[in-house]
Amino acid sequence: MNKIITIASTEYVNALRSKAFLIGLLAMPLMVGLMIIVPQLTKDKVDLSDRKFAIVDFSGWLGAVIVQQAEERNKTGVFSNEDDERTKRRQAQPRFLPELIALENATWEDHVLQLSNRVRDKEIFAFVLIGGTVPDRGDEGRIAYHTQTPTFQALPSWLERIINQEVRRIRFEREGLDSQLIQEITRQVNVERLGLASQSESGEIQEAKRENQIATFAIPAVSMLLLFMMVMSSTPALLNSVLEEKMQKIIEVLLSSVTPFQLMMGKLLATVSVAATLSALYLGALTWVAGNRGFLELIPLPLFFWFFFFLILAILIFGSMFLAIGSTCNEIQDAQSLMVPAMLLVMIPVMTWLPILQSPTGSFARWMSLFPPATPMLMMLRMAIPPGLPWWEILLGVGVAIGFTLLTVTSAAKIFRIGVLSQGQTPSFGRMLQWLLSK
Amino acid sequence: MALTNAVTLSGVSKSYGKHRAVENLDLRVPERSVYGFIGPNGSGKTTILRMILRIIHPDEGAIEVMGRTSTRAANDQIGYLPEERGLYKKMTVQRLLLYYAKLKQTPKAEAKQQIDRWLQRIGLLDWRSKKIETLSKGMAQKVQFIATVISRPKLVILDEPFSGLDPVNLNVIREAIVSLRKEGTTVILSTHDMEMAERMCDSIFMIYQGKKVLNGTLQSIQQRYGEDTIRMSVDGDKRKAAALTGVEDWRDFGQYQEIRFSGDAQALLRQLANTVRLKSFAVTKPSLHDIFVRIASPQKPAANE
Repeated sequence: MNKIITIASTEYVNALRSKAFLIGLLAMPLMVGLMIIVPQLTKDKVDLSDRKFAIVDFSGWLGAVIVQQAEERNKTGVFSNEDDERTKRRQAQPRFLPELIALENATWEDHVLQLSNRVRDKEIFAFVLIGGTVPDRGDEGRIAYHTQTPTFQALPSWLERIINQEVRRIRFEREGLDSQLIQEITRQVNVERLGLASQSESGEIQEAKRENQIATFAIPAVSMLLLFMMVMSSTPALLNSVLEEKMQKIIEVLLSSVTPFQLMMGKLLATVSVAATLSALYLGALTWVAGNRGFLELIPLPLFFWFFFFLILAILIFGSMFLAIGSTCNEIQDAQSLMVPAMLLVMIPVMTWLPILQSPTGSFARWMSLFPPATPMLMMLRMAIPPGLPWWEILLGVGVAIGFTLLTVTSAAKIFRIGVLSQGQTPSFGRMLQWLLSK
Repeated sequence: MALTNAVTLSGVSKSYGKHRAVENLDLRVPERSVYGFIGPNGSGKTTILRMILRIIHPDEGAIEVMGRTSTRAANDQIGYLPEERGLYKKMTVQRLLLYYAKLKQTPKAEAKQQIDRWLQRIGLLDWRSKKIETLSKGMAQKVQFIATVISRPKLVILDEPFSGLDPVNLNVIREAIVSLRKEGTTVILSTHDMEMAERMCDSIFMIYQGKKVLNGTLQSIQQRYGEDTIRMSVDGDKRKAAALTGVEDWRDFGQYQEIRFSGDAQALLRQLANTVRLKSFAVTKPSLHDIFVRIASPQKPAANE
């Protein structure tokens, strides 16, 4: 045991002192931070240059409405809504400058050709053609928007909204209906999303609470994804570690002092410790943020225990797999092909977690979470979704996870024992199975 | 007082698949001796060393190390320097040595003391805080040697300890081995350097194709081959000597020539005097190098003990 601790503590300190740990530690908050901050900083970085567009109006009335709506928008609708005195009149959207084109007996196609050239010459940004029978259906009632920059959505979206609004109004009028009344009748009804009510022993009724998106989605998602990230960021490194020791012949020196099992367990223990340290730092930071934002009460305390419990099992399971694979390889190229199946096993939870989040107690969720390689992460996910799981399911999940961990570690130890000393043999799963079944 | 054995192998055999790496080997390495292990590449030396270290286990037979047969407890009393160096490149010299000492259960304070002592002795004290990757090949070799002896083992197994060393560093390591022996450490020295083996080893063991072919002191081994070698230097056509009656083998080393012969040395001397102009002539025992070559040359039949 002393030797396992010696290996574990040395590898743990080596990992913590490495640049990779520091980069790993900062990478996630940095990425998340950038994903939040950069859009905030760039949200107002809109190209504010005027968008001139031409209107060819065969209907004789809709073009004028668009011109009038555009003028109104340019006066009030393009400025920031913020109350701040400094930014109140700051332009936040580009102005739309319409130009009504005289028809002059030209056909639809003539106009399209002519205006296309003007767009190419950068005289105008886009143009819209309005059919003669709008708002009626049919070819004559069509409306077409042409541009060289289809990625700019603000102008066509605005046009669509304005035109539909006007066309609807005209249609209601034709039918003799009050458009205000119609709007009131067809108003959207909101459905409140609530939890369950309960009654205490004293008979006091606890009203159902409004559904909280953070408790329902964010906490389970963060728990499982953090677990996944810890496994992904720490266990494949074990393969490289043992491969490097094998390639540099360090393994022989180590095995003159320790057994292969002690070496393997020392490495696993070090990886568990590194992942636990990283997780503690992340969870500590997240808890602090949750406390500052007033979400702390939404995080059930036992979740912390279950997180570390499943983290240990997941690292032991996948760490053993990668160690066993690494021990059979003689060079990096061997390892790359052999690690794909193990990586796929690690990925199963992230491939299936969304339907499980939707229906955490359904049979798909239950059976997937009892598929041993996925059990630690998917049980974590299901347990974090309110109101949690019945005790028998937790017990079953824990049993499956512990059983599979023991099976993986002992099997890996057997492969590792033979693999670390093998030289010049092409590694394969067949050979690993052969070693596993050998006496 | 009879010497006890540091290592005893009794009827040890080991196979890898169909390849018989070691066959029915009996060997006794007395305590406080320097025991030379020689043999061509692939003859089974490393397999024997690994079995002594319990890294691998024999298929048949028993191995006793420091009086223990089945546990790995004796391993803390063995220092092992493998043929290919095994050092963590990113660790500093001091941290690496401390780690290897801790794996041998050496208390930290004692390990630190030993590290200082050895670094001073080997001339690497100024490099203690440097990373292994910054060391030259010779320096790394010396660090590997310190890692082997840091825990004051009773048995030291050195696999090619002199490879890659310049003459100065070679002397440093050689003197260190001699002092280890004086301090009572048993040394197993596996080497291809026959001259070094001749000079340093109390006994020599040679393995060839998995079988023991030589075992004993250098004198006893040479005795077995008798005085069948002539070392001479001549003027004129050196090759004429090769055709004389009784000459079994003739080799030219530039400055001198060596003849292996059968029969009477005096008769051969007379033949030589009539054929070439002799400058020097001496009848000697075969060197370990010659014996090795005679056994391991592909066209020569293997000698038996």
